[in-house]
Amino acid sequence: MSAVPAGSSMVQKAVTVDCRVSDVRRHGTFAVVSLVAPHLARRAVAGQFVMVAVPRGGFVLRRPLSVHAVRGDSIALLIEARGHGSAALAAVDVGQTLSLAGPLGTGFVTEGVQSALLVGGGIGVAPFQMLAERLAAAGSYVTAAFGFRDHRQARVAGAFDIPQLWVATEDGSLGRRGTAVELAETLAVQPGTVVYACGPLPMIGAVQRWAQSHELTGQASLEAHMACGSGSCHGCVIETTAGYLRVCSEGPVFDLRMVIAP
Amino acid sequence: MTLPQTPDQHGKGEVELAVSLGPLRLRHPVINASGTFDLGEMEAHYERDFVADFPFSAYVPKTVTLEARAGNPPPRVSETACGMINAIGLANPGLQSFLNSLPALAKLREPVIVSVGGSQREDYVAVVEALEKTLDSATKGSVPQVAGYELNVSCPNVRTGCLAIGTDPAETAALVSAVRPLTARLLVVKLTPNVTDVVVVARAAVDAGADCLSLVNTFRALVVDSVTLKPFLGNRTGGLCGPAIKPIALRLVHDVAAALPVPVIGMGGITTGLDALEFIACGATAVAIGAANFAAVDAGERIVAELEAELRARCLPSVSAARGLALPGSARSARDA
Ligand SMILES: Cc1cc2nc3c(=O)[nH]c(=O)nc-3n(C[C@H](O)[C@H](O)[C@H](O)COP(=O)(O)OP(=O)(O)OC[C@H]3O[C@@H](n4cnc5c(N)ncnc54)[C@H](O)[C@@H]3O)c2cc1C
Ligand SMILES: Cc1cc2nc3c(=O)[nH]c(=O)nc-3n(C[C@H](O)[C@H](O)[C@H](O)COP(=O)(O)O)c2cc1C
Ligand code: FES
Repeated sequence: MSAVPAGSSMVQKAVTVDCRVSDVRRHGTFAVVSLVAPHLARRAVAGQFVMVAVPRGGFVLRRPLSVHAVRGDSIALLIEARGHGSAALAAVDVGQTLSLAGPLGTGFVTEGVQSALLVGGGIGVAPFQMLAERLAAAGSYVTAAFGFRDHRQARVAGAFDIPQLWVATEDGSLGRRGTAVELAETLAVQPGTVVYACGPLPMIGAVQRWAQSHELTGQASLEAHMACGSGSCHGCVIETTAGYLRVCSEGPVFDLRMVIAP
Repeated sequence: MTLPQTPDQHGKGEVELAVSLGPLRLRHPVINASGTFDLGEMEAHYERDFVADFPFSAYVPKTVTLEARAGNPPPRVSETACGMINAIGLANPGLQSFLNSLPALAKLREPVIVSVGGSQREDYVAVVEALEKTLDSATKGSVPQVAGYELNVSCPNVRTGCLAIGTDPAETAALVSAVRPLTARLLVVKLTPNVTDVVVVARAAVDAGADCLSLVNTFRALVVDSVTLKPFLGNRTGGLCGPAIKPIALRLVHDVAAALPVPVIGMGGITTGLDALEFIACGATAVAIGAANFAAVDAGERIVAELEAELRARCLPSVSAARGLALPGSARSARDA
C-alpha cells in the first residue's frame, strides 16, 4: 500500500467551517452555489474537493464536491442533483449555511504547462473552471472539450467562462454529435500538450487510450463513494497500476497512465 | 418525564465523567471505534493537532493484522437509510508498519487499545507477542501507553478468521486462552451481532480470560445497485452500521451486561450524547463512536459535552449513576436521582 504521489501534493491542511450561501445560479438540473469561505478560497488548489454536510436530517455521510471556482473570499460549487443528498444540496438558498470540510485531496499539477487540453464529461467538468483559470494565470494555453448526454445536460456549460470551450452532445442536440473524446480528436493538439480528464471511468479510459496514441501525458480526476474523505476509512479506493489507492487522499487526481479503466 | 429546558442552568455541580474499564481509568467514557478514526491520517489532513488535542479518552487504531492486507475490491462503502454499509476487508499495512508508526503516537496522552485481527488464531498470537516484545524493550516515552488489546473476532468482510472465530464460542474461547497468557494488559474481545445468542459467545470469552467485551461490530448486509440490480459492493456483502442499527445494538449490550460481570464497551449508531447515555443505561461502562466520525471530525468532543449535559439535566452526579438503569432488576430510574 505504498502512497504514490500522483497529482499535486497536499499543500494546505483542511478545516471544517460553516459557510454562508451568498449566491445560487441554476443551469437546468445543475446549481452553482457560491459560499463565503475565506479559508478555503485561500488554500484550495484546482482539483481539490470539500466534504459537504447535507443540510437536512437523516443523512449519515457528507458528500464530496469539487471546488468549481474561487472568487475573492468565496468558493463556488457546481452541483448536479443526482440522488437525495445532491438534490438537497443543489436546492439550497441564499442565506443558508453549509458545513464544509476541506480542502481535501491532491490537486492538478499546473506548473510548467505550455498547452493544456481539458476533457470532461457530465458533472466531471466541475473542477475545470478553477483549473482553466489557474493554468491561464500560469501562462498556459487552455482548450476545453466537454461532452454531455443531451442539450439539457449541456446547459451546465453556461456556468463556465473558458475562452476556448467546445461542446459535444451524444444525441447531437447541441454542438457536435459525439463524446468529449471524439470532440477532442477534432481539435488541433500541439505536441507536449498536457491532458486533464475528469468524468466517468469509461470516459477516462477513452481519454487514456487517445492520449497514449498521441504520446501525450495527462492527469485524471476520479470519483468514488466516500465515507471519511480524509484517508481514515479506506472506503474510497480505486484500482490503479500501483494497486488500490484512496481517491480522497492519494487522489482524486492521478497520473492518467495509472488509471485502470474498462 | 419532563426535563429542564436549559440543562446547563440546572444543577451546577460537577458531573463525574471518569470511568474504569477494569484497571484502566478513562477521563470520560467516549472512545473511538476501530477503523473509523485514523490518528495519523487526521493529523496529515486536518489543521487541528489531534495528538495534542485528542477528543476521545482512549485511541483504538484500525485493526492490525500480521501481514499487510490490500482489502476488498471497490466499491467498498455506501450510505443507506440512516446508516452506511462497508466492506473494507481489513485493509491495513500490517504489523511491521504498525510497530514503525508507534513512535509517532508517543506524544498521545490517552491510552491506546490495539485492535488485532487475523485469519487464524496463530496470527493474533503473533501480533500480540510482537507488540509485547516491542513495548517491553521500548525506552520510556518512545511509544504511547498501550493499555490493552481488542481482539476483533467480528469483521464480516474477510473470508477467513475474524467472524468465523467470533460466531463460534469454542473458537472464541480457544483464541482468548491462547492470547491471555501473553499479556497482562487489558484484554477486550469485540463481539459480532451476527449470532443467534450473543451471550453464549460473550460468556465463552469471559470464561477464557477476557477482561472486557466490546459490541457491536457491523451487521452483515447487502445493498443492490439500482441500475444493474446486482450487489453494489465489490465484496457483494458488507457490514451495516450507523443510527439504523442502534436499537439492535442497545438490546445486545443490554443482554451481555445483564448476564456477565465484566465491563462492556457499547457501540452501534451513536451520534449524540443521549445515544451514549442510552448505552450506559443498558450497562455499558464506555461507548465507542464509529460512523459519526465521518460526519464530523469533532463528533467525539461534541458527544462528550452532550453526555455531560444529559447527565446534569437528570441530576445524575456521574456516569456510574446512570449505568445499568435500563437493566432488569434495576429498581431505580433517572427520575429518582
Ligand atoms: C472527488 C469528487 C468530486 C466530486 N465533485 C462533484 C461536483 O463538483 N459536483 C457534483 O455534482 N458531484 C460531484 N461528485 C459526485 C457527488 O459526490 C455525488 O453525486 C453525490 O455524492 C451523490 O450523492 P446523493 O445523495 O445525491 O446520491 P445517492 O446515490 O443517494 O448517495 C448514496 C451514497 O453514494 C454516494 N455517491 C453516489 N454517487 C456518487 C458519485 N458519483 N461519486 C461519489 N459518491 C457518490 C453518496 O455520497 C452517498 O454516500 C464528486 C465526487 C467525488 C468523489
Ligand atoms: C469503514 C469502517 C471500517 C471499520 N473497520 C473496523 C476495523 O478495522 N475493526 C473493527 O473492529 N471494527 C471496524 N469497524 C466497525 C466499527 O468499529 C463499529 O463496530 C461499527 O461501525 C458500529 O459502530 P457505529 O454504528 O458507530 O459505526 C468499521 C466500521 C466502518 C464503518
Ligand atoms: S473516504 Fe475514507 S479513506 Fe477515502
